[in-house]
Amino acid sequence: MKKNRLLFLLPYLLWIGLFVIAPLVLILGYSLTDAHSHLTLQNFAAFFSGGTFLRMMANSFWYALLITFFCLLVSYPAALALTRLKNQQFWLMLIILPTWINLLLKAYAFIGIFSRSGMVNQFLGLFGIGPVGIMFTDFAFIFVATYIEIPFMVMPIYNSLKEIDPALLSASSDLGASFWQTFRYVIWPLSWPGVESGIQAIFIPSLSLFMLTRLIGGNRVITLGTAVEEYFLTTMNWNMGATIGVILIALMLIVMLLTSRKQHKKEIEL
Amino acid sequence: MEIIKLDHITKQYDDGFVALKDINLELESGKFYSLLGPSGSGKTTILRIIAGFTEASAGKVYFDGQDITNLDASKRHINTVFQNYALFPHLNVYENVAFALKLRRRPESEIREKVKDALHTVRLDGYANREISELSGGQQQRVAIARAIINEPKVLLLDECLSALDKRLRKEMQFELRAIQKKLGITFIFVTHDQEEALAMSDEIFVLNDGEIQQSGSPVDIYDEPVNDFVARFIGDSNILSGRMIRDFAVEFAGKDFECADAGITPGEKVEVVLRPEDLDITAPAAGKLMVTVQSQLFMGDHFKIKAIGQDGFEWLIHSTNGVQIGQEVGIFFDPEDIHVMRLGETEEEFDARLETYEGED
Amino acid sequence: MKKTIWGRVYFGLVLLILYLPIFYLIYFSFSSGSSMDHFRHFTWEHYQTLFADKRLLAILLETIMLALLSSLAATVLGTFGAIAIQRSKEAYRKILLSFNNILIVSPDVIIGASFLILFTALGFSLGFASVLLSHIAFSVPIVVLMVLPKLKEMDNSLIDAAQDLGANNYQVFSQVLLPALTPGILSGFFMALTYSLDDFAVTFFVTGNGFTTLSVEIYSRARQGIDLEVNALSTIIFFFVLLLVGVYYFLTKRQGKKANKLGGLLR
Repeated sequence: MKKNRLLFLLPYLLWIGLFVIAPLVLILGYSLTDAHSHLTLQNFAAFFSGGTFLRMMANSFWYALLITFFCLLVSYPAALALTRLKNQQFWLMLIILPTWINLLLKAYAFIGIFSRSGMVNQFLGLFGIGPVGIMFTDFAFIFVATYIEIPFMVMPIYNSLKEIDPALLSASSDLGASFWQTFRYVIWPLSWPGVESGIQAIFIPSLSLFMLTRLIGGNRVITLGTAVEEYFLTTMNWNMGATIGVILIALMLIVMLLTSRKQHKKEIEL
Repeated sequence: MEIIKLDHITKQYDDGFVALKDINLELESGKFYSLLGPSGSGKTTILRIIAGFTEASAGKVYFDGQDITNLDASKRHINTVFQNYALFPHLNVYENVAFALKLRRRPESEIREKVKDALHTVRLDGYANREISELSGGQQQRVAIARAIINEPKVLLLDECLSALDKRLRKEMQFELRAIQKKLGITFIFVTHDQEEALAMSDEIFVLNDGEIQQSGSPVDIYDEPVNDFVARFIGDSNILSGRMIRDFAVEFAGKDFECADAGITPGEKVEVVLRPEDLDITAPAAGKLMVTVQSQLFMGDHFKIKAIGQDGFEWLIHSTNGVQIGQEVGIFFDPEDIHVMRLGETEEEFDARLETYEGED
Repeated sequence: MKKTIWGRVYFGLVLLILYLPIFYLIYFSFSSGSSMDHFRHFTWEHYQTLFADKRLLAILLETIMLALLSSLAATVLGTFGAIAIQRSKEAYRKILLSFNNILIVSPDVIIGASFLILFTALGFSLGFASVLLSHIAFSVPIVVLMVLPKLKEMDNSLIDAAQDLGANNYQVFSQVLLPALTPGILSGFFMALTYSLDDFAVTFFVTGNGFTTLSVEIYSRARQGIDLEVNALSTIIFFFVLLLVGVYYFLTKRQGKKANKLGGLLR
């Protein structure tokens, strides 16, 4: 089977070279050159000196953080509730099913729901609250993004909750823990791997939801993802676009390092 | 002094399965009890009801004279060593053992002192900073015990907790569990399907089957005088023959009449006779009470297990310190006290009552 | 007991929120007029427009074609990759795996932008081919990740046994390896299919003027405002997905497959 290894390896290596390494090298190359292909750090200088870019970066980070946080807030209890239901497979499927509807269709639905005479404003109208402009606000963007990402947070948390041996919960209760103590000291730490992969699955895509910022956030919400799209497809300044892209990659690496950091335990002398 | 009392406990699950039928038992403090039975016999259900993980369908649970039937598991002064130990994988040995004390926000110095003592009791000094995943099965077992005794419970429940260990370690832990129980002086309730384990460690054994207590008593009582053929078969190896009572102290089986030590049974009544394989001695054909032909034998290290066919076709199991020739005709010999006669369908109470009537005469 | 009831109520609420926008779309697909504010009166008009819209139907067909082609290619490439990774030495395996995972964790815009640069650098013209290549490229690592666990849990003595019984390399591959990997390969294929059907950002970057997928088309229509033909399309897609997932659910339920199988449905 030895010579066959090359047969399997070659096409795969070709793929890695062409679609993983080459694009990375190219985007890095573009970020380090100007429009005339001269080597320069000017793009990065522009990014870190201008307030606009830094504010944009902070904004993206903040939005992604909020989206991830609200997702976790909604999804964790839902996943926990799911572990106590009968027919869990069925209910889980109902949670997953909306992910099969194209993201843009769901975003499009909110254009109707959030419009000045849409469902939400009709509902508010019942209480005499006049039409509120919800579209093209931070709220609308964060709400829709959270809505879209919820299933991707419920899934990993549910899976990690299911892996907890029920005997551990009995053991905790046996040792005198109340429901909340069991949650805090046993369930939460043991489900952390699921929370972690949920955060990774949501935080990073949230940085690049440019279609949502365009459709729901109007041009008021500008994230790094929106900027990349704008520089590449509208203003055609690929060098600046690539620079923002490289910074996005760096942010992503930081998030991954932060969430997968191992905790150090202090030693106890007896 | 009575510490645990189960009063007419029944348990029926939602799907209609009856796990326990009218269980009554009283346990004294400071003793080692075993609940022994095959899987599905209800022994673990009893344990879970005492611990508070499962609610009984009817009946009451008393602890130290107080009704705790509706008390939450977290509020009972009873702790459990779980079947697969249920150690918290995200905590190390120290944190696992200290768990109950941390919940009660005891001062750090007290926690350290107690954890140290508990680890010493289970002979795990110096293991405090180990991760659970680094421990062997036997060590995990000890951590589970240390964690359960840290709260100084009056009753410790042990759920099949030796079954995951290999045979050698299991034997070792049997001695150790018994030693820990003696040292702490608290009540142990040990659930097991392994009769050897129960016989080796317990002060008293409850044999369960189909959600009912079949027999309770000291290991010796249960082994020597099983109340029915379930208990006889479940505990130890046995030869069970059908027979007929001739009169008091005389029984007929295998086509012959024998002197025995049982009485109080109507003459002519059909009975079952139990003979333990180690009570049977192999003799020359003429010297034996019965004649058998050796079919096969297994060497077990300290004895031989011999299978032999009697003249009536019954297959005998005999334990012997000396080997025999396959196909050889031998005699088997036993004393009247080795014969144990069981009445069909006799309950434990009836058995005890009958024993009263003639044992006084000796 | 109380906690369970509140849990159920909460879970129901979450489901309600998840489905509300979808049902909102479906509801208004039957409304005459051209807004999603007030239901006017019932009509099939938008469905008639949809089925007369040759352009949109062509895009739908092309999107499905693209998804099938790209997942098929990615499945072959990914399965080969997984086998290659499994047979590599420990150190190489880790390197290969980290390269494999780069595309999975990368934000879509980065993938799109860097592929755009790549195609331009290679002088490749943008269109169906560039989109197809991109979809294959971002689906490969998913297939690898789905097949790899099956390779790991496969008993290596199976291959030894096959060789011992006289199978040649090709026979070992087709008679032993492939059948053992089939569940992983299938779920890899379906994942690749979902990724392809669901993708917007990458396609948006590498599609030229000549070629459009459904996502890109919906995006450009949605930017122009509300168009109830899109609602009609959503309804059809929703019921199609419902049918697919329903069939899948009952098939797996009948076979009594394990819980995490369903995870294959996710993205």
